[in-house]
Amino acid sequence: MNKRVLKGSVILLLLAGLLLIPRFVESPYALHMMILLFLSVAQGQSWNILGGYAGQHSVGHAAYFGVGAYMTMMLMHSKGIAPWVGVWAGMAAVVVVALIIGSICFRLRGPYFVLASIAVAEIMRLSAINLTTLTNGAEGILATELPAFKIGATVVTDFVTKVPFYYIGLFLVVLTLGVTYWVQHSKLGYYFQAIREDQDAAHSLGINIALYKNIGLVLSAVLTSLAGSFYGIYVGFVDPPTVLGLDVSVQIMLICIIGGMGTLWGPVLGSLILVPLSEALRSNLVTDLLVKSGAVSAESRLGLFLKENLSHAHVLLYGILVVLVILFMPDGLMGFVKKLAMRRKREAV
Amino acid sequence: MAVFLQSLISGILIGGVYALIGIGLTLIFGVMRVINFAHGDILMVGMYLTYLIFTLLGIDPFVSVLITFPLMFLFGGFLQKVFINRVLDALAQNQILLTIGLGLIMSNTVMLIFTSDYKILTTSYSSATIKVGGGVSVSTPLLISFLITAAITAALYWFLLKTDTGQAIRATAQDRDAAQLMGINVKRMSIIAFGLGAALAGTAGALISPTYYIFPQVGSVFTLKAFVITVLGGMGSVVGATLGGVLIGITESMSAVYISSGWKDVVVFVLFLLVLLFKPSGLMGKSRT
Repeated sequence: MNKRVLKGSVILLLLAGLLLIPRFVESPYALHMMILLFLSVAQGQSWNILGGYAGQHSVGHAAYFGVGAYMTMMLMHSKGIAPWVGVWAGMAAVVVVALIIGSICFRLRGPYFVLASIAVAEIMRLSAINLTTLTNGAEGILATELPAFKIGATVVTDFVTKVPFYYIGLFLVVLTLGVTYWVQHSKLGYYFQAIREDQDAAHSLGINIALYKNIGLVLSAVLTSLAGSFYGIYVGFVDPPTVLGLDVSVQIMLICIIGGMGTLWGPVLGSLILVPLSEALRSNLVTDLLVKSGAVSAESRLGLFLKENLSHAHVLLYGILVVLVILFMPDGLMGFVKKLAMRRKREAV
Repeated sequence: MAVFLQSLISGILIGGVYALIGIGLTLIFGVMRVINFAHGDILMVGMYLTYLIFTLLGIDPFVSVLITFPLMFLFGGFLQKVFINRVLDALAQNQILLTIGLGLIMSNTVMLIFTSDYKILTTSYSSATIKVGGGVSVSTPLLISFLITAAITAALYWFLLKTDTGQAIRATAQDRDAAQLMGINVKRMSIIAFGLGAALAGTAGALISPTYYIFPQVGSVFTLKAFVITVLGGMGSVVGATLGGVLIGITESMSAVYISSGWKDVVVFVLFLLVLLFKPSGLMGKSRT
């Protein structure tokens, strides 16, 4: 059996397993964790197309995530438009935003592009706060009642349990992975990588740099907006800091940096590390473990302090992870693993 | 007319503090070609330091600058020596990410220690004003902080232009390799430059602490403002950053009066994008590729 068939069948088996999980797992918490994982993979993979393959490190992806989430939620909340219709409006809006951003930011290189992408995301966040009639300002939009999804007269799902969200999340993962795989193996992907490696050389070879950067941006932005819409309807609440804040942009980027930029499985690896870690901190799991193991007594000042504060510490963890990864494995985990494998191969020879 | 004059004056006053923030960032960029995304968080650390000194020792924020400045200098030197120094030759995005990470660590550590509650540092003169005449009045703490800013900026110019170390720093900024060949200790200059940058940001934090809310996330606003200021003035240009700071201060206070205070930051960012689009080298910058 050749390697490719083997790889393909492993992936299919994995997918089949994931499809079957909700049949056997009923715990809403376990499903919730899986959904968060899916969301994170979708976010990371969307960023990866532009940042990893085309080498344009946007620190403003919250703009697309937030606009997608807001569009869907606003339409559902004020006009009663179902999210699976609103999602298209979200994507259309994001395409417009992305093209505007692209035409401004892609004239700039390196640090200037990063700065411009942050500025645009900040303009979006501030606009969401100030356009109170549309967005309900800083209070955000709460819309937890989802209409039932029908095909004809049959109700497919009424979104009462987490199961439909699980499958939507899984669909997003398959979609983003599929698009990335396609990009990686198409002419488009080679253009992206040429631009990433040497913009001037790519240009002199006749690659229309502005065009391909914009294609990468739109692709990446549309997928990010889908993830944003999904987040909005799953959580049932959006407000400016949670979907448009700088933290969101950093978190999206972080998934790829930890896992490895410009690789198909990097964002998956990154999510597998980041999501459980930050959930463990958020849900006080770490504190509980420390208390149970007897390392810290629950009533001591340290115990109380940890219980009180450690749940806010997941962003601190992001910071520490970024610093460690940049200093010690700048190519992410995938790059690190590859390097190890190469070294072993060389030693074997 | 009184309204116009009023907002012009308060714009210039706050612009002085912005200039301080911008000069710090531009100094770091000039010497190391590193964009410091933790700049606002360093400022935030300066604010909390001032707050601590005020509540524990009862020292006035404007006096405690004398303590904050050297402490923040050491903090900056430490950051440079331990972290930044390792990525000087790395890709630009890795440098950016590293400083973002450092900023996150700072703001969240402060949040763990002080919680995310807003702190207010109230002095006897926090809301005092001085009447200038013609219906225009000036906030006392803003005026004092502007005077201190002006003094520090003047001292900094003197340091950079007249002292040997200052000239060595400027030489390093002009051409790192050539400076090294001329026998300048480039590593030491980098530490001094980062230390100075941090000290200036920290001082700016100290100076605005009587008039601003103090909270762990306050930094990100100032990081972004610092970029706008330095890009507007021209990356690496100290004179440009001074000018840029004052210009941004005026723009902000004008748009707060004539548009609305909610949109003033949007105006600043739009201005920023326009500068990036039409004059990316900034007001005083040499065009560089």
